[in-house]
Amino acid sequence: MRISMRMSIRVRRTTIGLAAAGTLLVATGCGAADMTKQSSPYANAKGAKTVTLSVQSWVGAQSNIAVAEYLLKHELGYRVDTVQVDEVPAWDALSQGRVDAIMEDWGHPDQEQRYVKDKKTIVNGGGLGVTGHIGWFVPTYFAEQHPDVTNWKNLNKYASQLRTAESGGKGQLLDGSPSYVTNDKALVDNLKLKYQVVFSGSEAAQITQIKQFAKARKPFLTYWYQPQWLFKKVPMTEVKLPAYKDGCDADPKKVACAYPKTPLQKYLNADFSKSGGKAAQFLKNFKWTTEDQNEVSLLIADKKMSPDEAAKKWIDEHESTWRAWLPK
Amino acid sequence: MAAASTVTAPAADTSRLGALVRNRALGKLLLLAVVAAVLIPIVNAKWASGSWPHALTVDLTGPLGKTSDWIIDNRDSHPLFLYFFGHISNAVVICVRGVYLVLLAAGWAGVTAAAGLIAWRVAGLKLAAAATAAFLACGLLGMWVPTMQTLALMIVAVLASVVLGAVLGLAAGLSDRTNRALRPVLDTMQVLPAFAYLLPVVLVFGIGVPAAVLATVVYAAPPMARLTALGLREADGGVMEAVASLGATARQRLLTARLPLARKQLLLGLNQTIMMALSMAVIASVIGAGGLGDRVYQALASVDVGAALAAGIPIVLLAVILDRTTAAAGERLGAAEPDGRRLHGLSGWGVAALVTIAVALAARFAGRIDWPDTWIVNIADPVNNAVDWMTSHLYSGVPYIGGTADWAGHFTTWVLDPVRDGLQGMPWWAVLLVVAALAWLIGTWRTALTAVLAMAAIGVLGVWKPSLDTLSQVLAAVAVTLVIGFAVGIAAARSERVELLLRPVLDVFQTMPQFVYLIPVVALFGVGRAPAVAAAVVYALPAVIRITTQGLRQVNGAAMESARSMGATSGQQLRQVQLPLARPALLLAVNQGVVLVLAVVIIGGLVGGGALGYDVVFGLAQGDLATGLVAGAAIVCLGLMLDRVTQPTERRAKKGA
Amino acid sequence: MSTTVEKAREEGAHTDAPVFSVRNLWKVFGPKADRVPGDAELAGLSAAELRTRTGCTAAVRDVSFDVRKGEVFVVMGLSGSGKSTLVRCLTRLIEPTSGGISIEGEDVLGMDKGRLRALRRHRAAMVFQHFGLLPHRTVLDNVAYGLEIQGMGRAERRAKAAAVVEKVGLEGLEQRRPGQLSGGQQQRVGLARALAVDPEVLLFDEPFSALDPLIRRDMQEEVIRLHREEGRTMVFITHDLTEALRLGDRIALMRDGKIVQLGTPEEIVGSPADDYVREFVRDVPREQVMTVRRAMRPADADEVGRGPAVAPGATVSEAIEAVARTGFAVRVMDDGRCLGVVDHARLLGVVAGTGAGSGVEAGSGTDSESGAGAASEAGAGASASASAGSGDAGSDAVADVTPPGEEVA
Repeated sequence: MRISMRMSIRVRRTTIGLAAAGTLLVATGCGAADMTKQSSPYANAKGAKTVTLSVQSWVGAQSNIAVAEYLLKHELGYRVDTVQVDEVPAWDALSQGRVDAIMEDWGHPDQEQRYVKDKKTIVNGGGLGVTGHIGWFVPTYFAEQHPDVTNWKNLNKYASQLRTAESGGKGQLLDGSPSYVTNDKALVDNLKLKYQVVFSGSEAAQITQIKQFAKARKPFLTYWYQPQWLFKKVPMTEVKLPAYKDGCDADPKKVACAYPKTPLQKYLNADFSKSGGKAAQFLKNFKWTTEDQNEVSLLIADKKMSPDEAAKKWIDEHESTWRAWLPK
Repeated sequence: MAAASTVTAPAADTSRLGALVRNRALGKLLLLAVVAAVLIPIVNAKWASGSWPHALTVDLTGPLGKTSDWIIDNRDSHPLFLYFFGHISNAVVICVRGVYLVLLAAGWAGVTAAAGLIAWRVAGLKLAAAATAAFLACGLLGMWVPTMQTLALMIVAVLASVVLGAVLGLAAGLSDRTNRALRPVLDTMQVLPAFAYLLPVVLVFGIGVPAAVLATVVYAAPPMARLTALGLREADGGVMEAVASLGATARQRLLTARLPLARKQLLLGLNQTIMMALSMAVIASVIGAGGLGDRVYQALASVDVGAALAAGIPIVLLAVILDRTTAAAGERLGAAEPDGRRLHGLSGWGVAALVTIAVALAARFAGRIDWPDTWIVNIADPVNNAVDWMTSHLYSGVPYIGGTADWAGHFTTWVLDPVRDGLQGMPWWAVLLVVAALAWLIGTWRTALTAVLAMAAIGVLGVWKPSLDTLSQVLAAVAVTLVIGFAVGIAAARSERVELLLRPVLDVFQTMPQFVYLIPVVALFGVGRAPAVAAAVVYALPAVIRITTQGLRQVNGAAMESARSMGATSGQQLRQVQLPLARPALLLAVNQGVVLVLAVVIIGGLVGGGALGYDVVFGLAQGDLATGLVAGAAIVCLGLMLDRVTQPTERRAKKGA
Repeated sequence: MSTTVEKAREEGAHTDAPVFSVRNLWKVFGPKADRVPGDAELAGLSAAELRTRTGCTAAVRDVSFDVRKGEVFVVMGLSGSGKSTLVRCLTRLIEPTSGGISIEGEDVLGMDKGRLRALRRHRAAMVFQHFGLLPHRTVLDNVAYGLEIQGMGRAERRAKAAAVVEKVGLEGLEQRRPGQLSGGQQQRVGLARALAVDPEVLLFDEPFSALDPLIRRDMQEEVIRLHREEGRTMVFITHDLTEALRLGDRIALMRDGKIVQLGTPEEIVGSPADDYVREFVRDVPREQVMTVRRAMRPADADEVGRGPAVAPGATVSEAIEAVARTGFAVRVMDDGRCLGVVDHARLLGVVAGTGAGSGVEAGSGTDSESGAGAASEAGAGASASASAGSGDAGSDAVADVTPPGEEVA
C-alpha cells in the first residue's frame, strides 16, 4: 500500500515534469515559430479579451484611443492595451498583429501598397470622419498686424523678424516630429525662401516652443496640422502655399506646392478584422468629427485631464454619437 | 603649413632635438607632425575640399534599403526567422508573460512584501524599509500595473543579460584568445548610446516586448561580461597556485576557487547590469517596451510633465533600491559573518518566502489583489503648475540677467555656432590630425589609430557634417558639465554637509529617465541645440560630481597632512596637493562626462538638437534603415573616438590586467 | 624526542631511494626555451648574455640533488636565484624545460595528468609565502580543502581537518575567515592545509618571509616541532640564511639558477665553496653552527684525561662555555673514546673565522667524516637537532644535543 502510494507520487511527479517539459516544447517549439503572429506578453493577463491599439504621439490620436478604449472597456467588456508607436513602425506592428488597430492614419501609400495590397495582412477599417490638413502657420496676432504674411510670396520680407538663434541668419520654419509627413526642406529650396527648417524632434517640443512664443507674443512660422487642439490655445492663420494639384508632390525633391487635404483612415489587422468580434466591428464603426476630436484633445492636453477622464466627459455629453458605433 | 615648420626647426639644432625627444609628449607630437607633413600635402592635392571629400564616401542607402525590404518581406516566411529569431522572440514573450502573471498573482501586497523581505535578507533592515516604501509609492502614484510590466521585463532582461554576460565573461576570463577578441567589442559597447541599438533590433523583431528585451540585453550584458572576465582574470595567483598544488582538477579550480574569488566583481557586474537594463527599459519604450517607460513617453507626447514625473518616480525608486541592495550585498560579502550564519541564512530565506506567500494570500482573500483606485495620489497637477510657473517666470524678461530663452539664444549664437562652424570649416584632415594628436598624447599609438579610424569611418559613411554638428554640441555640453561638475565636486569634497545634501539629488538625476526632463528643458530653453545641451549637462553632471568628489576625498592623507604641517592654506592644499593627486579621477570624470553627454545629446534629437540624434529618431520613426543605421554607426564611431581621446592610458592598463 | 629522530633515521636507512631525486634540471623562460639546455654554447652563457642572445631567462640551470627521507632539505638563495621556480618544478606547478625528477624512484616528468594529480593530492603538499588561502571559506573549510578535492565526504574531512587545526594550534578559530586572522595564524592555516592531506613531503616556499620576526621565530619552532614529532620529509625554500641554518639538515645554496654549494650548515659556513658563499656566510655567528668535531685537534697525552667532555656534534659555542667554566681544553668524547681536544686557540680561531673551518679540513682532514658526503650522511639527524637547539645557545640546548649525537654515532 505504502509502496504503491510512493510509486504513484513518483509517477505523478514524472508526469508533471513531462507535462512541463512538453508545454515548454510546445511553447518554444521545435517547429516553426512565426513571430509575426505573437502577441504582447501583457495581453489577456486576466483572461479578459484584449484589444491592443496603437497610439501615435500626437494628441488627436490619443483622443481617438481614449474614447475607443473607454467604450471598449465599459460598454463591451474588453481590456485595452495601448502601445505608443510612430506611424511607419505602427504599420509594421499592425501587420504582425502586435497591435490590432491604427485609429488615425495620415496616408502612407508605400505602406498601404506593401501591407494592404501585397501581403494582405492589413485591411482598411474605414474613414475616421476627420479630415487632416498640413500647412504652414503663423500666429493670428502676427497675421493681423501683417496681413500679407499669409502669402508665401511675401515670406522673405519677414525672414529677419522670424529669425532665432537656431536658424542663424535666416528665418526659422519650425518643423515637427520626424515621424510626420513633410516636404518642407524641398519647399523652402524650391520656393527660394530665406528660411532655415528647424526640426523640433518631437511634437511635444514643438508645442512647448509654440506656447512659449505665444506667451511672449513673438512672431513665428511653423509647420502644423489640423485638426489640432492647439489652435484653441494659440490661434494661428495658415500661410498660403502654391495650390495643391494631384501629383504635384510625386517627386519629393521637386515639390513646390501645398499639402493635400487627407481624409484620415483607420486600419485593422486582417486577422483581427475577421475574428475580432464585437471589438473589430466597433472599431470599424467608430467615426466622429474634427470638432469632437478637438474637444477631447483639448481636455487632455490643455486641461491636463487624464485621457480616461477626458473620454468620459465627452462620452457623457455625446451619447447619441457613440451609441451608433456599438455593434448590435 | 605649421606642421612642416615644426619639423625643420629642431632638426637644425640637434641638442634641442634630443631634449624634445626626451619629453615623451613632445616626442609623440613631433613624430605625428612628421607623418602629417608627408601625408597631408598628398591627400590635400588629391581631395582638396574642406569637408570630407565626396570621393571617399560610400553610399549605403541602396543596400540598406534593400536589406530592410527583404527583412520585412521574409519575416514571416524565411527559415532564419521561423526557426531562429522566431523562437527567441517566442521564448522572450513566454518568459516575460510568466513573470508578469506571477507578479500579478502575488498582488501588490505580495510583491511589496517580497521586495521588503529580499532587501532585508540581502542588505538589512534599513533597505528593507526603503524597498517596501518604494513599492508602496509606486502604487500610490497609480503606476502599479506599469511598474509590474517594467519589472517583469526587467527581470527577464536582467537574467538573460547576466547569463549571457557570465558565459561571455567566463569564456574571456578563461581563454586569452577569447579575451583578446572580446575585449575591444565590450569596451566599445560600453560607450554606445542606447539609442543607437534600437533600430536594427526593431527591424528584425518588430515593435514590441521581444525587441525591447533584446535591445536591453544587448545593452546590459557587456558590463556583466567585462566584470566577470575581469574578476576571473584577477583571481589571486597565489590562491590559484595553492589550489593547483593540492591537485585540484580544472573544474574544481574554477568552481571552488576562481569563481568564488571573483564574487565581488560578479556582484558589481550584476549591479551595473541592473542599472543599465533599467535605463534601457525606459528608452526601449520607443520600440514598444510598454510599462513605465511607455507612460513617460506618452506623457511626453501630451506635454504633461506631471504625468511623466508620476511614471518617472517609480523608475527612480526602483533604480535606487536595486542599486543600493546589490551594492550592500557586495559590501556584505567581504565583511565578517558570525558563526553558523549560513544555516541561519537558509532559514531566513525560508521565513521570507513564507511571509511573502502568507501576505499574498491574505491580500487575495481580502479581495485586495489590485491596487485600490482610491489610494492613488495625483501629483500631476501640482507638478504641472509648478513647472508652468517656473517656465513662465524664467523664460524671458527676468530683470538684469535676462530669461532662460535669452541665455539659450546667446549660448547658441556665441558658443554652439562658432564651435560647429569652426569644426565644419576645418579641413577634414586637420580634424583627423587633431584627433590623432589628442588620442596619442593621452594614450598609446593604438588609441590614436582607433580614434582616427573611427573618425574616418564617419567620413566614409557620408555623415561628416552632421557628426561634427553633434560633436560641437558634445564639446559645448562637456565644457559646461566640467566647469559646473568640478566646482560642485570640489565644494562637496570639502564639506560633508554639501555632499550629504547633494546625494539624493544626484541619485534622482542619475536615474530619472531623460524623457522626463526634456519638456521642462524645452520650456526653458526653446527648441534647438541649446535644450539638447542643457539636458545632456543635467544628465552627465551627477557622475562628474561624484567622481570628482571621490577622487578628491581619496587623496592620500599623508600628503594632505604634510601640506597642512607646512602651513598651506586650504586653497593652496586644494591647488597644490588635492587636484594634482586627484588627476586620474578627474580624467575619469572627463571620460565619463563625455560618454554620458553623447548619450543625451543624441536623445536631444527629440527636442531639436538635430544632427545625428535627429537622424536616429527619424530612422526609427520612418522605419528608414538607411538613415537610422548610418546615423547609429556614426554615433558609435563618435563615441569610440571620444572615449579614446579622453581615456587615460593608466585606466586602460589597469583594465588590461 | 630522541626516539622519533631515531626512527626517522632508521627508516631513512631502510629505504635507499631518495624522496626526490633531481637530475640536470633546467627551467628556461622565454621564446624557444627548449634549445637552451641542449646547446652547450648557450648553456654556458651567463644570465645576462643569455638574455641578450636569445631573450630567454634560465631560472634553474642544470641542478641535481637528492632529498633523503626524513630530512629537512633547504634551498637557499637571494631573490631571483631560481629557488622558488625549482620547488615548483618538483610537482610540475612549473613545467621544467629539461632534466629528470623522480619521487621515490617514480619519474615525475613522465606522469600523466591523473598520476600528477595523485602526486599533488597525496604525496607532496606545499605551503606558500602568501598563504594562498580561500578568503570565502572558514579556517576549517580551508584546512579541509585538500581533502575535499580528493572527494572525501563532508563529515570525515571536517573531523580530520579539526584534528590538524588543533595540531597547529588554531583551536577556537575554526569558524573564522582568513581575513580575520593575523599573518602568523594564516600561515598556520596554510600549514594545516598541507598537513591535512598527510603528504610524504612538505614543500615550503618561503613560508615565513611575509611575517614579523617574532612570529617568524614562532613558526620556525613550530616546523621544528612538527618535524621532530612526525619526521616528515621537508623541502624548505628561504632567502634567510639564519632560517636555513636553523632548519636545514642540508642546504643547497643557489645563485643565478645554479647550486653553488650543497652541504650541511656546518660545511657551508665552515668551508664555503667559493667567494660568493664566503661573502654570504660572513656574518653568521660561526660558533653556533660549527661543531667541535671540526674544530678539534689531536689530543696530547696529558689532555686525554682531563677537562670537560662534549659530544662531537656539540657546537663551538657550547665548548666555549665549557672552557670558560673549567679553564681546560675540551675533550671531544665519542663512546668513551677521546677523539681530540679543542683549546682556546682553536675556539678563537673558529669565532674569528681564521683557524678552524677550512683550515682544519684542508690541513689535517682529521677523519673521513669531514668529507662533504660522508659528514652529512652521519650528521643528518644530529645536526638537525643541533641547529634546532643551538638557536638560543641556552644551556638547555647543550643537554638536548649531547646525548643523541653520542649514542647514534
